[in-house]
Amino acid sequence: MRDGIHDRCRPFSGALAAALLFSTAAAAAPLSQGRDPATGLRYWQWRDGGILFKLTQRLPDQSRGFFQARGFDPGTADRVARACVFQSMFKNTGAPDSGTVSIDLNTWRVLTAGGPRRLRLREDWAREWPRELDRAARIAFEWSLLPTRQSYAPGDYNWGMTLYGLPPGARFDLEFRWSRDRKVFKGTFRNVECAPDIHLEPAGPG
Amino acid sequence: MPRHCRIILTLWLALAATAAAGQGLTEMPGRLAAPGFALKDMDGRLHRLSDYRGQVVIVNFWATWCPPCREEMPSMQRAWEQLRKEGIVMLGINVGEDEDTIFAFTGSYPVDFPLLLDRDSSVIQRWSVMGLPTTFVVDPQGRLRYRAIGGRAWDDPKLLAPVRALNEE
Repeated sequence: MRDGIHDRCRPFSGALAAALLFSTAAAAAPLSQGRDPATGLRYWQWRDGGILFKLTQRLPDQSRGFFQARGFDPGTADRVARACVFQSMFKNTGAPDSGTVSIDLNTWRVLTAGGPRRLRLREDWAREWPRELDRAARIAFEWSLLPTRQSYAPGDYNWGMTLYGLPPGARFDLEFRWSRDRKVFKGTFRNVECAPDIHLEPAGPG
Repeated sequence: MPRHCRIILTLWLALAATAAAGQGLTEMPGRLAAPGFALKDMDGRLHRLSDYRGQVVIVNFWATWCPPCREEMPSMQRAWEQLRKEGIVMLGINVGEDEDTIFAFTGSYPVDFPLLLDRDSSVIQRWSVMGLPTTFVVDPQGRLRYRAIGGRAWDDPKLLAPVRALNEE
């Protein structure tokens, strides 16, 4: 077998080994974090146990713009925008026969120096809206958040915002839980940072 | 690069791509009756789900501000161009927005399957949807048969195979 696939692929083994190494490393390291090169916003990602969960910072100005465009008055949009908003994605990345993954955000914990607390969920906000907030704005808000409870078959995913009720720039750990086949799993993002309340200016000439 | 090396590399890349993409449709247990609705489209025409009894219906819940909804919309249009010839119906149910917003959206994402308006979100609540987009496939007897949470490549023949199979039942 000297003349096997291994020998004949040897000149290309570097690329193949790099590909294998990359996939092995990706499988071995559930946590990663970094910065989006285009926006400069930071992200935290977990890929393990048949799930992919990613948080990406949203600047308060992004959220102010989003909610004002959907009928929020500036004051209410500002209150939401300054509540530590992240763009979030949760996906069941398991094999087709691996079963359903469920989440309940009521069981997730935000860990700060002041102790553990819950996320600010759709239901929490719905109780606080001013009476005059119009229906379209309420509906857009509800559906733009990550679902409080959801079951994901393999390949299913949601995007949505998650809100942590902390001031811009605050730091916290996030304990997140999911279940598969009645077993509960837990992951933790350490030292997550709420986006600062900065106002980006257009680049000047030259 | 020798052919077998290319094959190995291609297989690896294909596996990586499969892991990243949204996958197929999930069969729904129980074959429960799909909740009925009567909603107007952009032209003011009323559509009842019961109007389509005897046909397979794809029902997609979406909104213009939802990134994966926008991403899957062109593939839904391409799928619709094939499926309409086979008698399969596609309905996009927009959640909470008005005609002007949707009209502006279709300037960038042209579709010609019916877009219905669920202005008060009462229909999506009855369909037990938790997040957008969510898509259901209803069989000719009006029963819920498949569901997809999150966007899909709707023009993928493998994804559409179970939909077409329902049309042959």
